[in-house]
Amino acid sequence: MRVDFVKAVSAVLRADQRSMLISGDLGFMAFEELAAQLGPRFVNAGIAEQNMMGVAAGAALAGLRPWVYSIAPFATYRCVEQIRNDICLHDVPVRVVGNGGGYTYGMMGSTHHALEDLAVLKSLPNIELFFPCANDHVSAAVQLMAALDGPAYLRLGISAFNTDWPVQGEHPETLTRRYAGSPAAGAAPRLTVVGAGHGVQLALHALRHLGLDRERVDVFGLARFPFDLAKDAALRASVEQTRRVLFVEEHYGPGGMGESFLAAAQPLAAFRLLCARYDREQRYGSPRFHMQQCNLTPEALMAAVRASLGGDS
Amino acid sequence: MKQVSYPQLVDDALQIRRAFLKMHFEAKAGHLGSGLSDIDLLVYLHGAWLRDQDHFILSKGHGASSLYATLHYYGQLSDEQFATYYQDGTLLPAHPAPRALPSIPAATGSLGHGLPIAAGLCYANKYLHQNDVRTACLLSDGECDEGSVWEAALFAAHHELSNLTVIIDANGLQGFGTTESVMRLEPLRLKWGAFGFRTSEINGHDFAQIHAAMLEPADARPHCIIARTVKGKGVRFMENRLEWHYLPLSAAQYEDALIGLEEPDSLRDSSP
Repeated sequence: MRVDFVKAVSAVLRADQRSMLISGDLGFMAFEELAAQLGPRFVNAGIAEQNMMGVAAGAALAGLRPWVYSIAPFATYRCVEQIRNDICLHDVPVRVVGNGGGYTYGMMGSTHHALEDLAVLKSLPNIELFFPCANDHVSAAVQLMAALDGPAYLRLGISAFNTDWPVQGEHPETLTRRYAGSPAAGAAPRLTVVGAGHGVQLALHALRHLGLDRERVDVFGLARFPFDLAKDAALRASVEQTRRVLFVEEHYGPGGMGESFLAAAQPLAAFRLLCARYDREQRYGSPRFHMQQCNLTPEALMAAVRASLGGDS
Repeated sequence: MKQVSYPQLVDDALQIRRAFLKMHFEAKAGHLGSGLSDIDLLVYLHGAWLRDQDHFILSKGHGASSLYATLHYYGQLSDEQFATYYQDGTLLPAHPAPRALPSIPAATGSLGHGLPIAAGLCYANKYLHQNDVRTACLLSDGECDEGSVWEAALFAAHHELSNLTVIIDANGLQGFGTTESVMRLEPLRLKWGAFGFRTSEINGHDFAQIHAAMLEPADARPHCIIARTVKGKGVRFMENRLEWHYLPLSAAQYEDALIGLEEPDSLRDSSP
């Protein structure tokens, strides 16, 4: 997603002279060309995220529209008070970008995993969160963020189960994607599978390789918070029909998007959540290793689908 | 630069202290000591130095009441608004609120936030807008415990934010002790100098010294003025007393404080 982000944000930065890019000492093999083009509109703020967010807020108060880039845990937890006080309370157009959402930085260890970034930021006022489902979803998110006059956060990530699967439809504002509907004509769906951001890739993997496409299941990918189910007519209709939701996210459960979706979609007959977990006996490895450790796999998703459908018959 | 008259500034400061004591007495609000320590600096900035286009960031947000009193005195806050201080429904809480007043561009109160914001304003004005807008940022000395202050200091020096003036209200007292007993800050001037600032050290109640420091020839560096101040300045029984960071005034204390302000030498250091 980083490549797609750089491409999309480059276009925004070229088009809007009020925009600027501030990096927390990251961008090797990504920002070099952009930095050379932007001159003073590119700032490497060094390894000082608190200051970086305050500087971005100050620049925004002076009429600029900064994008602030770091890896997701550093762009969020370290400087959450600056994001709250300096950016959100002032409602200024600062766009925070966190690369490596979820377990993307697997072997880098727990300090580099971003499993609570959305939980932390969704609790703040005025900020909108964007979490693209796939690489080809990033550009639309960047363009929507560029048009906002208030704060926004962009979560970039790479799923260990990235799968190519066609999109059936995408809402231009919510960015919610419909990936699959019930196969047999006239056969009503019995379960709605909803993935947040690149977490939906587990479901796409299951559609491609594990036969999920043969089940009476709808699959949607969410990419923006706060949710707007009034606009997401297809998703709303599916949930109203099935009243059963299986939610999947590469994020810690407490405070995650699943909790918020459960609250927004009530009343439901059944709700299951596949999400990241912590374990006292934690071991470290690739993103796929971490996801297997917390049972966040396409196979586990299929098992949950079958359990949900079985419970319905 | 407005015409600078030291006797006028001394008189302004006296009247603002009176108004400040009244608002705190009526509101039963604390934070008296730190307001009294920075009023002379605020008077100089708002009475002489700041132009319409310039920014002032009160990084020591707990000095808000002294800023409100100063803005009111200089006509930037209406009587009606000023009267709402500390009342339910006010835009003037004990620490400045976001997006509330044109003269207060940024909400502060959690220490260590103002200087990064000021640095962002200065960077935008110097390099992108390429204008002559200046920003002054007032910090408390205890605030320099915060790491984000030093992150911003590195940033400001690296980017040669010569349009930034940092003033440290160095009254030597913080929340639960003296700055030297809690976490040694000195030598403060050398520290700011080592971080790449042009530095001055002055008596922060002496308008001639404040004025001289602000007029020192600029270079590419941001400027840091260590203003040595007295917490509780002007009210003898509050001066250098930790408890006046917190306590409200009783009626008797309010009377005593007002009388004390009228003593000829109560603001002795304020006279040039």
